[in-house]
Amino acid sequence: PLRRPHLLWLLVPFLLYVGALPFVNRVRPLILGLPLLFAWLLLATLLTPVAVWLAYRGDKRKRAS
Amino acid sequence: MNAAVATSIFGLFMVATVGLGLLAVRGRSGRGDRGGGLAEWSVGGRSLGTVFIWVLMAGEGYTSFSYLGAAGWGYNYGAPVLYVVAYMSCGYAVGYVVGPMLWSYARQHGLVSITDMVAHRYGRPWLGAALALLVTVFLLPYIQLQITGMGVVVSTISYGAISLNWAYFIGFAVTTGFVVVSGLRGSAWVSVLKDVLVIATLAFLMIYVPLHYFDGYGDFLDRVVREKGEWLTLPGSGDSPYGQAWFATTTILNALTVVIFPTTVAGYLGARNADALRRNAVLLPAYNVLLFVPMLLGMAALFVVPGLTGAGSNLALFRLVVDSLPAWLVGFVGVAAALSSIVPMAVFMLVIGTMWGRSVLSLLPGWHAPARQKLASQAVVVLAGCIALVMTYTVPNTLVRLSLISYEGMAQLVPMLLIGLVWRRLSLAGAVSGLVVGVAIVCGLVFTEHDPVFGVNAGILALAANLAVALAVSYAGPADRDARADDEVLAKDPGGDTGVVDAAHTADPV
Repeated sequence: PLRRPHLLWLLVPFLLYVGALPFVNRVRPLILGLPLLFAWLLLATLLTPVAVWLAYRGDKRKRAS
Repeated sequence: MNAAVATSIFGLFMVATVGLGLLAVRGRSGRGDRGGGLAEWSVGGRSLGTVFIWVLMAGEGYTSFSYLGAAGWGYNYGAPVLYVVAYMSCGYAVGYVVGPMLWSYARQHGLVSITDMVAHRYGRPWLGAALALLVTVFLLPYIQLQITGMGVVVSTISYGAISLNWAYFIGFAVTTGFVVVSGLRGSAWVSVLKDVLVIATLAFLMIYVPLHYFDGYGDFLDRVVREKGEWLTLPGSGDSPYGQAWFATTTILNALTVVIFPTTVAGYLGARNADALRRNAVLLPAYNVLLFVPMLLGMAALFVVPGLTGAGSNLALFRLVVDSLPAWLVGFVGVAAALSSIVPMAVFMLVIGTMWGRSVLSLLPGWHAPARQKLASQAVVVLAGCIALVMTYTVPNTLVRLSLISYEGMAQLVPMLLIGLVWRRLSLAGAVSGLVVGVAIVCGLVFTEHDPVFGVNAGILALAANLAVALAVSYAGPADRDARADDEVLAKDPGGDTGVVDAAHTADPV
C-alpha cells in the first residue's frame, strides 16, 4: 500500500491544467463573461491551493496518528 | 513636469530599496559562528519563516516577464501565455514533495546550492564545479533579461527622461547595492515592499483599465469574444505554433524544472523548517491569480494601441499605463515593475555567487576557509552582474540566444539531481551521459529553430532521451564504488520534521 496516499491530491493540478485541456479549449460557453478556457484555468488556479492543502492535511493527520 | 514627478517617485523608492535591503542584516553580524558566514548570507541562515519564504518565492516568480512578456504574449498570441500560470501552479504542487526533501538534505550535510548537492551525492567535487559553470551559462541570460526589462520600464515611465543605458545601470547598481551585503535575507525584505506594490498596482489596473477604455469588464470581454476570438483558445492568434500538445508538455517540463531551479532552491534552503515549505506550497499558487491581469490587459491593448510588433508588443501594458494615468501613479506602477526585475535579479546573482564560491573557487588552494568562500561568492556576485551589464550594452543578442535554451537546458538536470537523490543505482557515468545528451539535443533543436518540434516542447524530448541514456548507462555499467551508507548519500522526506535551526537565536518572528 502507498505510504502517503494523500499525496495523490498533488496530481489534481496536473489533471486540471493538462488532463482537461482537450475538453475546455473553446470560447463558449462563456462563464461570467469569460471564455471557457480562461474560466477553466482560473478555476484550476483557485483549486490548486485546495488540492495542496488536502495533501498537507493528510500529512498532518498521519503525523498526529 | 510629468517626467519629473514619475522619476522622483522612482528615485525615492530605489533609495528605499537599497536601504531596506541593507537594514535586513542589521544586528545579525555577531550571531555566533554562523553569523556573517556563507550560509547566513546565501540561504539566510536557514531561518526564514513562512511569511518571508512566501514573499521571497512569490517575488522570485513574479519577474519583469510578468509585466512585459506576459502582456506581450497576451497581445501577440493570446491563450498560450496561460502556460505560465499552469506550470507555476503545478510546480508548487511538485515542490510540496521536493522542497522539504532538498531542504532536509542540504541541512543535514551543510549544503547551500544545487551544485553542492550534486557534488555531495556523487562524491565528486569536480562535478559540482563543472555544473556551476553550466548553470551559470543558463542563468546569466536571466540577469540580462531583468536588466533589459527594467531598462525598458524605467525609460518608459520616466517619459524618456532616463535613457535606456542609464536605466540598465541603475538596475544593476541598486541590485548589487544590497545583495552583496545582505544576501538572501535582504532579497526577502525587498520582496515585502515589492509584493505589496505589485498586488496594489495590479489590483488597481485590473479595475481601472477596463473602466477607462471600455464600459467595464463585460464590454471588454464581449469585444474580445466578438472581434478577437482567435486569441481565446490554443494555439492562439495567427501562425502560433503553441497548440495543446505544446501547452501540456511545457507545463509538465517546467513544473519539474522550477523545483530544481537554483533560485527556487535558494528559497527552499532559506526556510526555518520543512513545514514552512509545505505551508508555502499551499499558499503560493493563489498568487498566480494575479498573472491573469497583465495577460488580459495585454489583450485589452489590442484595441487601444493596435499594430505593436516585435519587442514593441512587450510594452503593451505600459503603453496603457502611460496613456491613461497621472504621472504620480505611473511612477508607482513603474516602481512595482522595476522591483519585479530587481528581486529576481538579486537572487540570480546570489545563486551564481554561491555556486562559484562554494563549488568552484573553494577547490583552489587556500580558498577552502568559510570566510574566504563568502568573500569569493560576494566578488562573483559583482562580477556576474558586471558581465551581464556589459553584454547588455555590447552584445545583447548573444545572451538573448542563450536565454532560448536556459529553461530547457536547466530541465536536463532533473535526472542527475532529483532521481540521483532518491535512487542509489543511478551512476555518475549514467547521470553525466544523460545530461550531455539532453543538453546537446536542446541546443540542436533550439538553435536550428525546431522548438516546438512535432508540436511539443523540445525540452521534453531532450529530457526523455536524457533519462533513457542515464538509465541505460547505469544498468549497463558497473555501480559506483562509494563506501558511504545510503543515509549519507540519498535524500529522504523529513516527514514530521519541524525541527528549528537554532530557533531561539536566529529565527525571524514571521
